[in-house]
Formats: sequence, C-alpha cells, structure tokens
Amino acid sequence: MKPFISFVLKEAKHILRDRRTMLILFGMPVVLMLLFGFAITNDVKNVRTVVVTSQVDTQTQQAVERLAASEYFTIIATVGTPAQAEQLIRRQQADMAIVFGKDFAAKHSGVQILVDGADPNMAQQWTTYTTAILHQPVGGNSYIPPSSLGGEPGVKLLYNPQMRSAYNFVPAIMGMLLMLICAMMTSISIVREKERGTMEVLLVSPVRPLMIIIAKVIPYLVLAFAILTTILLMGRYVLDVPLAGSIIWIYLVSTIYILLALSLGLLISNIADSQLMALLLSAMVLLMPIVMLSGMLFPVESMPVVLQWVSAIIPPRYYIEAMRKLMIMGVGIGDVARELAILTAMTLALLAISLKTFKVRLS
Amino acid sequence: MLKYLLQKEFLQIRRNSFLPRLIIAFPIVMMCVMPWVMNQEVKNIRVACVDNDRSTISQQLVHRIEASNYFLSGGQKPSYQAALKEIESSRADIILVIPQHYSRDLTQGHHPRLLIAANAVNGTKGAMGSAYLRQIVAPSGAVEGTSTLTLYNPHQNYKVFMIPALFAILMMLMTGFLPALNIVGEKEAGTIEQINVTPVSKWSFILAKLIPYWLIALFLITVCLLLSWLVYGITCQGPLLLVYLLAMLLALFFSSLGLIISNYSDTMQQAIFVMWFFVVCMLLLSGLFTPTRSMPSWAYATTYVNPMHYFIDAIRTVFVRGGSFHSIAHQLLALALISSLMAVWAAGSYKKNG
Amino acid sequence: MERSSSVIEVSHISKSYARVQALRDVSLTVGKGELFGLIGPDGAGKTSLFRILCTLLLPDEGTAAVDGYDVVRQMKEIRRRVGYMPGRFSLYQDLTVEENLQFFATLFGTTVDEGYDSIRAIYSQIERFKDRKAGALSGGMKQKLALSCALVHSPSMLLLDEPTTGVDPVSRKEFWEMLAMLKERDITIMASTPYLDEVRRCERVAFLSEGQVMGIDTPEVVLERFKEVFNPPPIVNAVATQSQQAEQDDGGNAIEVSHLVKAFGSFRAVDDISFSVRRGEIFGFLGANGAGKTTAMHMLTGLNQPTGGTGTVAGYDIRTEHEQIKRHIGYMSQKFSLYEDLTVRENIRLFAGIYGMNDKAIKEKTEELLRQLKFEAHADDLVRSLPLGWKQKLAFSVAIFHNPDIVFLDEPTGGVDPATRRQFWELIYEAAGRGITVFVTTHYMDEAEYCDRISIMVDGKISAIGTPDELKQRFQQPDMDHVFTYLARQAKRSSD
Repeated sequence: MKPFISFVLKEAKHILRDRRTMLILFGMPVVLMLLFGFAITNDVKNVRTVVVTSQVDTQTQQAVERLAASEYFTIIATVGTPAQAEQLIRRQQADMAIVFGKDFAAKHSGVQILVDGADPNMAQQWTTYTTAILHQPVGGNSYIPPSSLGGEPGVKLLYNPQMRSAYNFVPAIMGMLLMLICAMMTSISIVREKERGTMEVLLVSPVRPLMIIIAKVIPYLVLAFAILTTILLMGRYVLDVPLAGSIIWIYLVSTIYILLALSLGLLISNIADSQLMALLLSAMVLLMPIVMLSGMLFPVESMPVVLQWVSAIIPPRYYIEAMRKLMIMGVGIGDVARELAILTAMTLALLAISLKTFKVRLS
Repeated sequence: MLKYLLQKEFLQIRRNSFLPRLIIAFPIVMMCVMPWVMNQEVKNIRVACVDNDRSTISQQLVHRIEASNYFLSGGQKPSYQAALKEIESSRADIILVIPQHYSRDLTQGHHPRLLIAANAVNGTKGAMGSAYLRQIVAPSGAVEGTSTLTLYNPHQNYKVFMIPALFAILMMLMTGFLPALNIVGEKEAGTIEQINVTPVSKWSFILAKLIPYWLIALFLITVCLLLSWLVYGITCQGPLLLVYLLAMLLALFFSSLGLIISNYSDTMQQAIFVMWFFVVCMLLLSGLFTPTRSMPSWAYATTYVNPMHYFIDAIRTVFVRGGSFHSIAHQLLALALISSLMAVWAAGSYKKNG
Repeated sequence: MERSSSVIEVSHISKSYARVQALRDVSLTVGKGELFGLIGPDGAGKTSLFRILCTLLLPDEGTAAVDGYDVVRQMKEIRRRVGYMPGRFSLYQDLTVEENLQFFATLFGTTVDEGYDSIRAIYSQIERFKDRKAGALSGGMKQKLALSCALVHSPSMLLLDEPTTGVDPVSRKEFWEMLAMLKERDITIMASTPYLDEVRRCERVAFLSEGQVMGIDTPEVVLERFKEVFNPPPIVNAVATQSQQAEQDDGGNAIEVSHLVKAFGSFRAVDDISFSVRRGEIFGFLGANGAGKTTAMHMLTGLNQPTGGTGTVAGYDIRTEHEQIKRHIGYMSQKFSLYEDLTVRENIRLFAGIYGMNDKAIKEKTEELLRQLKFEAHADDLVRSLPLGWKQKLAFSVAIFHNPDIVFLDEPTGGVDPATRRQFWELIYEAAGRGITVFVTTHYMDEAEYCDRISIMVDGKISAIGTPDELKQRFQQPDMDHVFTYLARQAKRSSD
C-alpha cells in the first residue's frame, strides 16, 4: 500500500507543480461559465436597422418610432432607395432594412423587410420581431410577445422561462471540460513517462502494472471532482442555474463519466508514442467531434442520419443529456436510466480495451 | 540563412509520422462532415399532443402538425402530466394541449386557447419550436401585408453561415496549435541550445518557424474553398483574393500566438492548455456562433482586440455577402495591425541569451 | 555451471527490429553473486539484452531465465526480484532530489533511511541540493541521483545499463566500490560500461559486437584478445605540439576570462574564475559533476549572461557581443545536438547554411566531409538511426564545418567506446592542426592527457591549471586520474 500512496503523491506533485496548467485548469471553467452566462446570448438586441422611405408621413413616422423605441432595434439611417440600404448591409454597417411602400399610410401594408440572411436563425427572429411590432395596434409602445395576443395559443416555456443560455451550456461545459482534463492530461502524463524513459523503471519495479495505472489516474480523478464542484457552485450561485435534481445522482453519473474519460485517456496513451501525438490526438481528433457531435452546441436532431449514428457513439452526448435532465429539469434517476446504462456500458468497454492494450513490455 | 532553416522545418514536418497525415486529412474530413453538423436550424422537433377534445377538427390540427417538416409525432398522450413525463424522459420536446370543447368553441366563434409547452433548456430550440408550432396552429393574418426578402442567403441555408466559420476554426486549429508545440518541442529535445549558439538571427529563426504554417494555411484555405464548392455548391461571392488575404493575416496571427506561447512554456502540456484557453475565449467572443451585438457592453468591448471577430466579420462579408475590398477595409487594417504586433512579440519573446 | 548457482541463463537469444538484427544467437550464463560486465561498441545489442532480461522485450528466438524464471512467461516473478537502471534513466524533473529518491525507494518497497548506507558515498555529494528540482541539476549530478535511486533498494539482482556515463572519475570509483559491497552481500550484478577501468573491475565480461557474443572471459583475457578495439595505441600528440609552436608565434589569446561569476539566487555555480586559452590550444576543462563546467561554458558561448566579471572569446566581450561570438565559434553540447529526424546530409546542410555558406560551397565541403568520415553510404540515413559514436563524430564535424576560431565541446565522448573515442580525438587533433582552438570537457582522464593544458574546477572555482605534466609534478601523482582524484577529494573535505 505504501508504494501505492507514494505513487499517488508523486503524481499529485506533478500536477500541483505546474502552476500555469493549474491556473488554466481552474481558470477555464470559471471564464467559460462567465462567458456563457453573461456574454454569449442569442437575444435579439441592437439590430442595426435602416429605414427606406421616399416620403415621410405620420403613419411611417409612428411605425419607425415604435421600432426605435424597442430595445431590439436601433435605427441607424434613413435612406431613399432599397439599393442604398443593401449597400449598407453588404458593408456590414446594417443588419436589416425596412422598406415602406408608397401606400403604407393608406393601406397599412406594402412593407418589405430586407434582412441579412447570413445567419438564418437570427434573420428569422429579426423578421418575426419586426412584423410583430409593425402590426401592433397603434398606441401600444412596446412589443408584446405574440403569446398574449387574443386568440393565439398560450405558450409556456418549461424549465427555462427566461430562455437563459446558461441553462443549456452549464451541462455542456461540464461534459467538455471533464473529458478534456481527464483524457488529455492522463494520456500526456503517461506518454511523457514513456518518452523520458521512466516508464521502463516503473514497469520493472515490483509494483503491478494495474497499480501503476490506478495510481496515475487517482489524482486526475480528484482534480476532475474539484473542477466539477467548481462548475456546479459557480453555476448555482453566480449564474443562478438551478440544481433541481439530486446532488448525489449528479455526482454519481459524473463519476461514471469521469472514469470513462480516464479510460479514454489511457487508451490514447497506449496508441500514441510521443507527447506531440497524444496532444494532437486528444486536442483535435478527440475533442473536435466531442464539441461538434455531442449536441453541446448543435442539436443532434438536425444532423443527417449518418452523423446521428456517429453521434450515438460519442459518450459526452449521453452525459450532457443526463446532466441537462438531472440539473435543469430535475427529473428522477429513472428518467436518465437509458443514458446511465449507455454510459456505464461504454465505460466498461473502454476500460476493458484500454487495460487490455496497456503495454507491460516495450515494443 | 532563412532558406536552410525553412528546409529544416519542412523536412521535420514531413518526417513526422503523424503530422502530414493530420494536415491533409483533418481539413478534408472536417469540411465534409462539419457543415452538416454545425447547424442550429431547429427541426425534427417531437411533439406530444394532448387532445382533450377528440373531434375531427382537433385531429386535423394534429395531422397538420405532423405533416410539417419541422415536427415529428411524439405520440398522443391522455394528459398533460403524461406528456410532461415524455419530455422528462426526452422522448418529446414540446407539448400541445388541445382544450376540451375546442371544436365547439371554434364553430361558435369563440377563441379557444391552445397551450404550447416547450422544453426550453435549450432556449433557442424552445423558442423557435414554439414559434413554429404557433404558426401552424394559429395561422392568423398577422403577417399579412408584409413581405420579407432574405438577402444573400435566400434559402436560409445554415451551411452558408457556418462554412466561413469553419474556415476560421480550421485555421485556428492548424496554424495555432502546431506552432504552439513547435519551439517547446525543441526545448524538450535540447536541440534549441544548439541553435542558440549559432549566429542565427531572431527574425530568421522565427520566420522559419512561421512560414511553413502560412503555406499550410494556403493549402488549407484552398482545400476549404474547393470542397465548399464541390460538396455544397457554395462559392465565394466576393473576390477570392480577399479571402486569401484574410486567411493569411489570420494565419500570421495564430502562428505568432502559438510561437509566443511556445516561447514562454516549459512543457508541451502547458503550451497546449494555455493555447486552448485563449483560443476558446477568442472563439466564443468572436461572433462566430452568436451575434456580437447581443453581448453586454463589457463583452462587446473585447471584440475590438479580438482578431477572430474581425476575421469572421470580414470573411462573411466577402464570402457570403459578396463585399469588396472597400467593405472590409477596416477589418483588414485591424487584423494586419494585431497580427504584425504579435509577430514582433513572437520574435521578441524568443531569447537566445538567457 | 550447475543449475543452482547460475542466476542468469541466456541461450540462443535472437532479436531483430524492423531492419536491424540487434541480437544474434546470444548465449551466456551468470553465476550467483557474480559481477558480470557487458562491453562492446554502441549498437552492439547491450541494451536489447538488458531489456530482454528484465522482461521489457520479448526475444524472437531462444530462451532466457533469470533466477530460474522464464523471461517470457514469468514476468511478474522476475520484476519482483530485479533492479534495473536503463541507459537513459531519467528522473522526474519537477520533483526535488529528495522526492525522487523517496519515490523510488517506496516504489521498491523500502525507505531512504533503510537504504541510506548503500548509497551514502554517492548521495552525500548531492545531498546538499536535496530541495532542488531534479530538472535544475547538471547532467552529471542527475546521473548521480539516478544511481542513488537505482541502488537505494537492494534486489537480488541488478541490471545496470551504462550507469556511469557522464559521471566524474571520483564518483565512478565510489560507485564501483559500492557495487563491490553489494556483491559481497551475494547480489548478482550485470553492468555495461564504456570505461576500461570499470571493465577491469568485473569478474567476467562478455564482449558483444553487432549482436553477437565475440567472447566471454575474465577482463584481462578479453581486453587482450580484442586489444585493437579496447586498447588502441595512444595518439601521438605530434600535431598539437606542432600547432602549439606555430601558434606561439602570433601569440594572442582565444579566450580570456577574469573574475567570472554566475549566481543562481544565493548559489554561486561559477565562483570567480580567471583563466586564458591561447590560440590553437587544446584546452581541457575538467571538474567533478556540478562543479560549474557547463555553466561556465554557457557564459563563454553566449547562452547565458554572467552575473559578474568580464571575459572575451575570439576578441569579443561575452557580456555585450555574444552574437558576434556565436559567429566565430562552434559548439557541441552535452545533450546530443543534431536533429534526429533529419538525415546526415540535411544536418550538415542546415548548420552550414546557418553560418552563411552558399549552396555550392556546402555541396563541395559536404562530399569532402562524408569521404573523410567514410559516411558516404550513410549520407541519407536519418541521424536517429546512427550509432552514438557516429553521431558524436558527425556532431563534431558539423560544429567545425564553418571553420570557427574556437570550438566548445561539452563531454563529447560520454558513453562512447574506446576505439571510437580514439577516432574522435584524431578529429580533434586534425582540427587543432588547422588552427582551431579546442575547449573541451571530459570525464575520461586518458583524454585529459591528450590536452595541451587543462584546468580542474571544483565547487565553482578553478583549483589547478597547467599542462598535464606540470600538474602531475606539482601534485606528485603518477597520472591525471590520480591528480583529479586528489584535487576533487581534497575540495570535498573543505566544502563539508
């Protein structure tokens, strides 16, 4: 047992001595949480709008004022022809133009919206907002969400009524960072020992190979828990993200996921023979699909079927899904049974493969 | 002198067992796969209907929803509670509740209220989903009289939006991370000491390290443009030369950043983590995924020094909107300025004499 | 030899990698408590044999048993009994000296206190640095720490792959005395070494060459039988003497240093040294591990700024004109300094290009050099695939390719076998004959005798300087080995 403890301590020292990496390890979640919580939003806000009109009458004037009064739009210019407006949009000085026809005052119609379609979602939302404001009964001075208009269906946004993006991203950040830290750092630390030649000594020592692996992994496990806790605390108290579900289950599912990431790191270290390769493997070949295909940024349902199959073997997909349910929706463990089962199966499989391929000899 | 150093860098990249394959395969795979993935379009939303009316009209309504290509049927549920259960076990994304006497009220001229409840954990998805559903169930005349012309991307194709973003991500990964590992790799191997006792000037050493990555960037952007044309039929609307110019400037920035981090790092692990940190922050604040103007003012302020923001803005203007040199002059200027500052810093931070 | 007393039994072992055959039909036995030497040029297959014995590698053919356990099937049993120190034993750079030692002690199931007696002689020399990170130690001190780590436990069998490369003569002697003590405790030891004095301390040695056992016998017999390999005739210092006289005409000093100091915090690595080296001289810069040789050399070559004092190299100030200095010197560092992933020709081309030679000149001189080194057939081989001795010869040739005024060599022959070392020194003499000043550090005392003048550094100070003959006379010692031991031991007493 004593060699084992001293092994773990040694590994912990490696981590603690590298101040810069430690700083990044804890700085990264904090900064990411702050960015996602406060800076990154899809809100419709400050849309730079150009008004195109040939004559200024009261009707148009009122419509423009209504637009300008809302916090969604900023009128930056009034021009005479649609061509001029398009020029402004092309130069990225405006996002949208509203062309009022000659008979707008008379018929209350003939409005054309020119919108920069580069970002389709935003374009859609801008037009929806504009239309709603333009057609609002005269006299009202702020945009009323369509849901409360008469005859319209009632809309209820479950779990996240203010549509805060943090709710969506906190679980995603957990999925990404835990994978990054566990897989990348364990793989590097093992490959580094191979590269420097210390692995030979460790292998020939009386300590069993399995013990070497476990000892290597424990400090990263602890580190992963520390980071997980940091994220959860920040999420709860800084970003006001609910922790609706049971904390115990959140930690339990996370533990399985961390073990999975650690086995993946071990597997990478078995494949890679240099630090450079281990880094590139984990930073690009592993991390890119995780970020892209796990549904953390882009919804899985919108992908072509083939890619949906691919995403089915990406572990963070299930973890993020499970965390979103447990943390935000506050469901019981029964509802994440499927995710839990898949994660457990994946962990066992990966663990088996990586232990099997661990080289107790040099090749 | 530079010539020989350059030859060495190229030979080293070529000799590496992994790098050449990565440099060639990675952009191709990414370009073929990612545009399909980087799609924030909201579709295939699963609707669970709770039909308390069970009339012909209500059934027609349900069929109308299922026929739309935004929605998939999540089945009919007897009660709101049962439907909620579906959402909790992620078998449905949105619930539509049709009240009792819906058809009767409708025929009598009342306005029966439907209820839409969307899972809004992903805010965009929840909002867009409920908006689409509302349009189907209540195609009211609100939109009458207003027509919308979507410029530059008439089919609202998400790939048009994301392909330029993908260029940026690929440039960042290939021309940023490889140099970040380069000098620190020579430090760990000990060969840097040998170079330091030669009369090599700082600038030739740094340039020899930078130039290969610019060529990689050239290759990369060419592959990207070709693939986006061949696979997706999306071509550049503005002058191609501008795209190349922008790519080169961004490559200059990222390769310099990589070398700076490499110069200050002691181990590869340190280098890659520091690089990750900067890159992720720059990426998130660049407007690549979300509009910068929606950010609070303190976050918006950072975009003035974020080269990624200038690049994204400019490349979308040229590639998607067909902008000219004039349209992106200030982004080019800012990018050139930041990049050259970084290059000077890269050379300055390389210490031959400790 | 009867079954009970033979601890290592190797029979008809062969091992080949992709292209090279590392071991070919090797058979040998080592008895219990024997001190067995494994000698032979670099690339002879010594490391492969060690790795097979400690179960790190699988043999292609043949069988081997350690302590009666088969190396293929009974890996666990063997690993429990064997202590192994690989050739490129590396420590954990970010752990302190003491932490490294403690870690390896617990790894082998013992403690530093328990094992202290068996490492005292060597560890006591580095103990005062016990709170320093291993990465901040000089090369030789790292090796001493590695030795301490390998010996802190006493397994029933020790496999040591070139344990003393880069270690100064005094410490080497102490190390071998420790091995003799272990042997008395009936521990079987198998060690490889390029040092002849160490070979002589073994009971029996096996001479390996190109993967084959050429002979197994007592050191005397083996060294005598293969004397053209191990005991090449000494080089006549003719060229050097000649050049020395020629240079005395134009006089002048290539290097002048006065009161040079380099301090890291409160520790003075180089403590007020002054000396000068004449043009065309071969100057031996000797010292124990950690005495400050490499630090001093770094200041002379412009890699480091001195904390105090002044000096000129090739007429340029080391504090302000280091870039000019770099134009006029060649340097070959302790770590192997060519690019391993480039070929021989590409390396030559790179460094020649860096010094501003043009393509045509490079081409001509490259062919000439390859002919001279008899490397024509390997010009397009990767440097990685060359044997160590060849690499070092190549590195030296590259360092003087641009005809520098001075060439600095930091332990150029560490770990190189005697025959190759001799060829290496022929190259040095030739360079000196062309008027290049040679500034060299070494731990081989026979090489010290080849120098025109030498200085011996102890604890950051130069404690003696002069021609080898002068020094032998002054300290009344028979050879340089004794002079060095005398000075190094004396200084250690004063520092205690």
